[in-house]
Order: sequence, then C-alpha cells, then structure tokens
Amino acid sequence: MSGQSMSVGPGRMGAILLVAPALLMIGFLFVYPFGYSVVSAFTDNGEGSWHIANFTKAIEFYSKDILFTIVIVSLSTVVIGVLAVAIAGYLTLGENPTAVAVLKWLYRWPLFIPFIVSAQLMRTFLAKNGMMNNILTSSGIIEPLAAQSYLDWRGIVITFVWKQTPFVALLVAGAMASIDRTTIDAGRIFGASRLRILIELVVPQIATTLMVGLILSYVVMLSVLSVPLMINAQSPTMLTVDMAWRINSYGDYGVANALGIMSYLFTGVVAWFYLRQSLKDKGA
Amino acid sequence: MTLKSVLTGAISSAVIAVALPASAETQLNVMTGGSQNMVEYVTDYLGPLFEEKYPGVKVRVTGTGPGDAGSQKILEKLEAQSAAGKEQWDIDVIVAAQKKTGEMKEKGLLADFRNNIETGKLVTRATAENALGVYVGGYVMPMFHSQTAIAYNPALVPNPPESYDELRAWVEKYPKQFGYNGIKNGMSGVAFVTGWMYTYAGDTKTLQSGPYDPAKKDTWAQAYADLKAFNENVTFTPGNAGTLDMLNRGEIVMGPVWVDMFYSWQGDGRIPPNLKLKLIAPGMPGQPYYYATPAKAANKDLAEKFIELATSPAVQAEGIVNRFNWYPGIDADHVKAALDEEVWTKLFTDVTPLELAQKGKPFPIGPYFDDIKEGYEKQVSN
Amino acid sequence: MVQAALSSTWVRTVTRVLTMSLLAFAIFGPITNMLLWAVAEVWYFPYKLPLEYGFSFWERVFRPEGNATEALFSSIWIALLTVVVSLAIAIPAGYALARGKMPFRYLIMLLFLLPQAFPAVAVHMNVARIFYGLDLTGSVAGVVLVHASQGLVFAVWIATAAFAAVDAELEAAARNMGAGRWRTFTDVTLPLALPGVMASAIFVFLISMDEFTGTYFVGAPDVVTLPMLLFTSSMEGNYQIASISSLILLVPSVGFMLFIERFLKADVLAKVGN
Repeated sequence: MSGQSMSVGPGRMGAILLVAPALLMIGFLFVYPFGYSVVSAFTDNGEGSWHIANFTKAIEFYSKDILFTIVIVSLSTVVIGVLAVAIAGYLTLGENPTAVAVLKWLYRWPLFIPFIVSAQLMRTFLAKNGMMNNILTSSGIIEPLAAQSYLDWRGIVITFVWKQTPFVALLVAGAMASIDRTTIDAGRIFGASRLRILIELVVPQIATTLMVGLILSYVVMLSVLSVPLMINAQSPTMLTVDMAWRINSYGDYGVANALGIMSYLFTGVVAWFYLRQSLKDKGA
Repeated sequence: MTLKSVLTGAISSAVIAVALPASAETQLNVMTGGSQNMVEYVTDYLGPLFEEKYPGVKVRVTGTGPGDAGSQKILEKLEAQSAAGKEQWDIDVIVAAQKKTGEMKEKGLLADFRNNIETGKLVTRATAENALGVYVGGYVMPMFHSQTAIAYNPALVPNPPESYDELRAWVEKYPKQFGYNGIKNGMSGVAFVTGWMYTYAGDTKTLQSGPYDPAKKDTWAQAYADLKAFNENVTFTPGNAGTLDMLNRGEIVMGPVWVDMFYSWQGDGRIPPNLKLKLIAPGMPGQPYYYATPAKAANKDLAEKFIELATSPAVQAEGIVNRFNWYPGIDADHVKAALDEEVWTKLFTDVTPLELAQKGKPFPIGPYFDDIKEGYEKQVSN
Repeated sequence: MVQAALSSTWVRTVTRVLTMSLLAFAIFGPITNMLLWAVAEVWYFPYKLPLEYGFSFWERVFRPEGNATEALFSSIWIALLTVVVSLAIAIPAGYALARGKMPFRYLIMLLFLLPQAFPAVAVHMNVARIFYGLDLTGSVAGVVLVHASQGLVFAVWIATAAFAAVDAELEAAARNMGAGRWRTFTDVTLPLALPGVMASAIFVFLISMDEFTGTYFVGAPDVVTLPMLLFTSSMEGNYQIASISSLILLVPSVGFMLFIERFLKADVLAKVGN
C-alpha cells in the first residue's frame, strides 16, 4: 500500500511546494504575531532584559486557576470521549432502526451552535431559577427548595460536553461505520454482549480517530473565553479569563502571555501523545 | 427556483449589503465601550441626531463591550495603528471608561481638543481634568457620570442596610441572598470592593488623590481577610447585568448595580417595578465615561463637531438625563435649565442629590486601583 | 419463558424511549429556552414562563440603525469566502500530506493546531498591528484571512484524511493508462476525495460564524459581523437580544450543514488526523 502511494504522489519538492501556502499562512498569521507574545512573556514589566518574573507572578497569582483549568478540560475531555463512543457505538451496533434514526437526527444539533451562543443558552438554562430547575420542580422530580444553580465548574463542564460531544461523535461514528464488520459479526456469533463488542472490538479500531477528535476538542476548550466568562462567575476560573483580565484590567501583557504559554504547555502534552501514537501507527 | 439561482441571489444581495456603506458620503466612526445601553444611546439617539444636522455624514457605531475590557479594545486598536505608523486612524470618536482613557492619554493616543469646541467651557468637575491620577484636561469631555448603589427588593428586605457594617451583619443573617460580580466581570463588583476598601482600609483621601506609596497595600490584610469571610455568604453573579438579572430571577434579593442600568432595565420591564436603590455609607464609587478623539483621527473636525453636539445642554438634558437616566456629564446647572422639574427629580428618586454629594466617591488613582485589585486576587479569591 | 422474553423486550423499549427522551431534553432543552427568550417581552421571577410574548425585541434588533441585517449578510458572506480560501489552501496541502514524501509530516500537521490552541486575547493586537501595516484592516479580505487561519487545522486535517482514503491503486491505474499527474489528480483523486473535503467546509464555516475578537481587531469599524453584535449583548446578559441574534446565527449554520450533509461519508471521517 505505502509503496504504491509513493509512486502516485508528488515528490519531496512537489509536496513541500503544495504545503507551502498553508505553512506560509500559519507562519504569517500566527507564528509571527505569536513571536511578539513570547518576547513579551519573557521581557515585559522589567527593564527590557530577559527574565522569568512574569511566570513566577503567574504561578503566584493563578496557581489555583491553572489546576482548575487542567481539571475542567481533562474531565470534559473524558466525558466527551465516553459519550461520543456511546452515541457512535449505538449508531453502529443499535438493533432498533427507529431508535438509531432518532439518535442520528438528534445528537448533531449542538455542533452548529457557536460557543458564545452555547454559553448564552446554558446561562439561562442552568441557573437556579432557570428552565431546567423549573421543569424538574414542576414535574415533581426535585423539591423547589433543593433547586440549585449549576453556574459554576459544573456549568462549564456541561456546556463543553454539550457543545463538543457531537463533534467527536460525528468523527467516531464515521470511523466506526467504515471498520471491517466481520469481526463484529464474529463477536456476535460467539454471543458477546454489545457493550463488550464495542469496548473490545470496535473501540481499538477507531482509537486514532477518537484521539484526534478529543485532541481538537481539548485544544478548543483550552482557548475558549466566552464559556467560562459567562457561566462561571466564581473563582477559581479558567486561564483564558485570567489572561483577558490581566490585559483588560492592568494592561499587563507580560503575565497574560506567560499564562498563554503555560496553556500551550498543556497542549504540548496532548500533542506529544498524538505524535507518539501516529508514529507507532505508521511503524505498524 | 433552482438551488443555484437561490445561491447567486443570496450572494449578490450579500455583496450589495456589504458594499453599501462604502458609498460616497463621509463616514464618522464612533467606537464606544460600555454597556449595551451606551451603544444604543449613540446608535439610536446621538448618531441620527448628528446625521440630521450634518447631511452627507454617516455615523457608524461599533460597540466594544462593557467594563475596562471594552475600553481596552479601543486602546489596543489605536495602539496597533500607532505602532504600524499609520498617518490616518480609522476611529474618529471614542467613548471610553476613566482608567483606560487616562492610559490612552499617557500613551499619546488622544488629541487635545476641548478648547476647540463651544461646550468645553461647560465642564468644571474634577473628573474632567483628572482621570484616576492622570491629567486629561483638554483631552476629554465627560459624556455622563454614573454611580453604583445597592439594589434590593423591598418586599423581601423591608429595612435595607444603611452602611457596609450593617450589610455585613445582614449577610451573616441571610447567607447567599446578597450577590455581586466579583472583580473580574464588570465594574459594579469592582466598585463594591473599592467601597469596601474605602471603609475598612482607611485613609480614603490618599487612595483617591495620592501620593502613591507602594508600601501602603501591606496594611490592608485585615480588610481583605474580612472580605474573604464576607464572600463566604455571598452569591457570585456573572457581570453587571448578571446581578440585575439574578435580582430579576429572584436568585438574590440584593446586590450592587449601576444606577443608570437599573433605571433602564426597570423601564424595559426587565426587572420587577418594585425594586429600589440604596447608596450605603460611607459611600460607593461612580465614574464618568469620556468622549475623546484620537490623535490622528481621519475626520478630526467632524469628530469635534460630534462631541460638541453630544455635550450641548439640550442633548445632555434630553438624551443623557431624560432618555437614559444618567447623571449629566457637563455641569448640572447648565442641564437643569433645559429640563422639566419632574424629569430632573425622577433621576433622584432613590438616591437624593445630598446623598450623592456625600456618598458618591471617585475610584482610587491608577496605582492604588491596581493594588486593590491585585490584593483581592491574591488574598480574597486565591 | 415467552412471557419473560416479552417483558424483557418491553423493558428494553421503555429504557430506549426514556434514554432518547432524556437525550432530547438535554439537547433541545437549552435550545427551547433560547426560543422562549427570543419571544419573551417581560419575564421575571417567580414566573416560570414569560409574562408577555411579542416581537418588540425583534424590531429592536432589526431596526435600521442597528445594522443587524447588514451584519448577518457580512457574516454569511465572510464565512463562505473563508470556506473557499481554506479549501484552496487545504486541498494541495492535504494532498501533499497524504500522498507526498513529506519530511516531518506529523510535526507539520501539529503546526496547524497551534492557532486553535493559543487563547486569542493576547495575540490579536499583534495581528492587528501587522494588518494595519499591510492596509488589510477594515477589509473583508483581512477578516477572511484571520478566520481561515483559525479554521485551517480542520480544513487541512480533514482534507488529508480525505486524500488518504482514496485508493492509491486507482491513481496508479490512471497513471499506467497514460494520464499525467495533473489529469490523474483532477479526474481521479479529487472527485473521490471531494466528499471529505466538503465535510471540512462545515467546520470552517462554523468557526468563521463563531469568531468575533479577530473580526473586531481586523474588521471594525468597517466590517461588522453578527457575533460582534451578539458579543456585547450576551456579555451584558441582554437575553432577548442575545437569543434573537443566536437564533439568526443558527439558521445559516444549519442550512449550510443540510447542504453539505450529502457529502459526509463514513470512510473519510475514519481517517481524520491520520
């Protein structure tokens, strides 16, 4: 397979030329302006010399928020992964055609709702006297006095999961639809439960797609400002809010950029996973 | 209709819609920070008024968002043009909050224009010369003044607290019923914290007018510790409007708000009509918003004309006081003459002029302001 | 025995219906809430439903001074252009990454992830400075470029997957029959990969519809999009206006996806990021 693809694809020079416009665009529109940010993280607020004062200040002020961000984003990623596999798994293995059709129609909607709109929706939905609690109390599921606001860390996780699960589920469902069905059928013949087939036979085959979907979600959640800003009024909060706050309130780009670089390090961790997995796949 | 014809139709109408504003008339770009009501004020009232007076001019308004964040975005846009060495900047008039306007003046981004306009003589208040410690005389015209106060529901709180001390006792008695928006989500929360520091950190005068002493912040530990304890019994709201909204939804019964927003929301039916305001002792801060024009505005003359109109007694009376419930930006006696007695007193229904004079405070000077906010981050919320 | 089997199917059906209802509630609850807010005139505590319904806030959004119509059309127009630009860049890149002998291939793929990963607040002023230097601010072109760079990771990753999913033997066969590289690409590879490439358009379209900080720094005051208008009112908790703008923003997104849905093919989505 790989031998043949070499013969039809562009050569080394050709490939580089074809990627060049995309690389130029990223370089010019992102890497170049980002360079200013890096410089500012290591120099601002000093006498122009290089130092790490911005990083120590960032840790001193926002250590809790750093931890909070990692926990929230990781937790959301895990929940998204589980739900996306469940949805995609049911779409692939479900036996009731009506239920599969309903689910297929249903699950995708939040995909088309921008983050800022999702945050707006959830803010009115999850509030203490918001629609969710109204429905729950009216239908007698919970006591009116037990109603509580979910506009805190739970609200952020709920919004992230609501918004990002369809994206990952869409990718994963596509991957599952195209895997070799003979293994699944074999599993069925031997009487394995659908859950076992999903976990032991299907998921390993779509692991890379799942990982890529989750990486994209993780990275997007790490850099969204509107959701934590609008949903979580308390502290601790997420790093994007702190960055905006350093800039808006103190005009302090140094610490803001230092925080940004730290959030890049979190991306670096998942990027490393991606690279390792991809190279392993390629070797296999 | 085929899909193709629908698409071409949609695209060509989109092209027309996008291309339209770039027609022959002069475009005056007004960029305004601040809440939605401020954007509406310029869009719906001031802009059309100016266009009527100066035919051939189109006023284009861009809102940049509430709080310092919105004004910071204007500053960044100006700074980017300055750094790129542009000779003509794409913003003609700005409306910005106090602290950021001071920073713009310090960075040389603003023009000295007050002496060029007629209404320049109508302002004598201290805030027209001094923006939190930065001298801005000549560079700004106050658009309005606004004030923070505690909004409450008299049906549930018949005897509202009169002071910060009483509020502390009240909050202990009724936990989670008082809400404010911390310091990261809008200025009403910052104002509440500032009032707290004026009350419990001492030496309010120095905080408001200097001189700055970096060691002073080390004496505030007790005030912050008390605030941290106070926060235990408080509900946090997601912003200036968030506090009003939670009052509306019955999730809190008391919280600090901007007086003008309070009246506008009440006028719109977005908060119950029975809510009232209380300016608690020893006082809470208020601030002006400023009109200014960038140093290299493309339409400098028109920009000055615009600000002149906006700060004329007639417009201040009708627009600022009557329609939008702000306290006037220019000196009150010029405005009062142009208004019905009734409209004027409506402005002071809950907060009397005397209370305003005694308990309406300015924000602290820039460096102390930063110290107060950083101290809060470090000792209260971390 | 038969009875047990029957009751077990019955239990299954009930669970299925319950699960689906729960899911429908989770997904449509918040959306219904938005619809209610969009037509609520007066709605305060302790009322569980609006006290008055009406369209006065719609009139407010669409009043001529508010520029909402213009902003809506520029949003759609910019999103479509962004899709075109992204695809024009992503198709050659995706082809090369899928088929070519590319040094550091995975590192290059990761590079496209970068603009999504860095919180935008700190970078945009620098972007604005560069764009002012090039006289690109205040132009649709400038805004499209900024949006395209944000969406490039989706465009490139999915396009790469789409080309990787094309059976290389078909290309080899075309070459053996004497077709040139270009002919093989336009007549064989591209048509086969097109469904996947179009799928990436959805994500690019959505990112463009969602973006507002970059639009402000590069577009304002001349180019105004709907999210920019929405931003101020949402941040402010102006629920009616925010809900109405959200609803309007939802329409082109869903419309675009219905249009593009026929191109979504399973085998392409399976290879994203590989």
